[in-house]
Amino acid sequence: MLKTQEISINVGPQHPSTHGVFRIVLKLDGETIVDAEPVVGYLHRGIEKLAEDRTYTQVIPYTDRMDYLGAMSYNLGYVQAIEKLMGIEVPERAEFIRVIATELSRIASHHVFLASMCLDMGSYTGWMYPFRDRELVLELLEMLTGSRMTFSFMRIGGVADDLPEGFIEKTKQYLPKILEGVDEEEGLIAGNEIFIARTKGLATVSVEKALAWGWGGANLRASGYKFDLRKNRPYSVYDRFEFDIPTGANGDCWDRFYLRLAEIRQSVKIIEQALEMIPEGPIMAKVPKVIKPPVGEVYHEVEAPKGILGYYVVSDGSTKPYRMHVRRPSFINIGMLKELLIGTKLADFITIFASIDVVLGDVDC
Amino acid sequence: MNGMGLLKGLAITFKELWKKPVTLEYPEKKEKLPPRFHGSFTLYSEKCIACGLCQQACPNKVIKVGSIKDENNKRKLASYEMEMKYCLFCGLCVEACPTNALVFNQEYELAKYNVEDIKLTLFKKEQITTGEGSENV
Ligand code: SF4
Ligand code: SF4
Repeated sequence: MLKTQEISINVGPQHPSTHGVFRIVLKLDGETIVDAEPVVGYLHRGIEKLAEDRTYTQVIPYTDRMDYLGAMSYNLGYVQAIEKLMGIEVPERAEFIRVIATELSRIASHHVFLASMCLDMGSYTGWMYPFRDRELVLELLEMLTGSRMTFSFMRIGGVADDLPEGFIEKTKQYLPKILEGVDEEEGLIAGNEIFIARTKGLATVSVEKALAWGWGGANLRASGYKFDLRKNRPYSVYDRFEFDIPTGANGDCWDRFYLRLAEIRQSVKIIEQALEMIPEGPIMAKVPKVIKPPVGEVYHEVEAPKGILGYYVVSDGSTKPYRMHVRRPSFINIGMLKELLIGTKLADFITIFASIDVVLGDVDC
Repeated sequence: MNGMGLLKGLAITFKELWKKPVTLEYPEKKEKLPPRFHGSFTLYSEKCIACGLCQQACPNKVIKVGSIKDENNKRKLASYEMEMKYCLFCGLCVEACPTNALVFNQEYELAKYNVEDIKLTLFKKEQITTGEGSENV
């Protein structure tokens, strides 16, 4: 009898396919993964603790630094949580600006997902095209906020700045280009036989399993469950827009990939409507100079690009949060990784990891 | 048929051959930045009233405003220093300034060879910098 021996290999933390600094120890029997031990924490900065020593406004820049690829949703979730706690009514125009900015940021995040999944699987061309289009989005966001990634754009009660001159025209000019780019990316990758063979049927997640692990956002929808906070529990002014919620069928790597392409199209649709409907008016509510929420606690959820993002904030009536906890979607997504990996081939590890869309700044916080 | 997808992809990349390149030959050529760009900082020291609001607004204790009292017991700016290595480029300081003395500029090549050079001294009064009469707000 030939005896086989298991070997352990260490991937990361400094590995280009780990989307940050992530380490995983894989146990292999030949080519098959029999066990996997993810090790997180290499990017831990203690943001939740830092927040306890900052005033409510000063926390905003730190929220950017969790998921730096789609930072606007993190701004939005935080300021809305505090507004809920204080009972602040945000002016209409500010809400529309928030929606436009958040959706732009979502598109940029999905572009990175598409690109990095292609790159991880060895397609350099597939990486270039989404990044080319992401540049358009970042240009718009830079024009609006002054920054390309960590915006710190929203304020408790509104937004930091009004739309700059020429922003609406430029966005209207860029949106068709983004759609065109999505078509190109679809043509490039979605028809590619090698890509399909490597992703279809790989790491399928059933709806029950996805729900049991707390998955949300595009990963959950890829399994075929139609749930989007923007539609199911609308916040801000999302109830005024018409858009579809695309869903997948099997919940495999392919569905998770293809869904992002579809979601970019929907986001473009939302921005187009918002640009038409945006009213004139103030961009900041009347808020006290020193922000001092009443004693109490609040939990607020928004739909971030990577899943459901929740902020839990406890106030003791002072100018600083007593405790802040963030439910970060990437951390939830990565939880299932071990289960997904066991039984697959080593070469598929990279694909599976890329397909669950995590960013390590968001995993470690 | 197998291979059709590959051909379709090749057709798309082939089209790109006739388009303008999307890349820019940095550092020979530079991107035009929007006016709101969060770059480095400029201080119009004549406008600054040394109120220290920027220092208070900063989440990361980047800014240090030094002030002195002049003969009429009026507060005046003595020094203005920023530890740029801690800066988040969030703009809360610029927003807090009541006289618009502190603004962002378009400078973004901020990497330095030595750690000491990272510190940004935007204002320093010749004679009195520390010691008697100087206080941090
Ligand atoms: S940009 Fe933000 S971190 Fe930097 S000095 Fe101003 S307030 Fe402080
Ligand atoms: S807030 Fe403006 S005026 Fe006040 S110390 Fe800072 S730069 Fe000077």
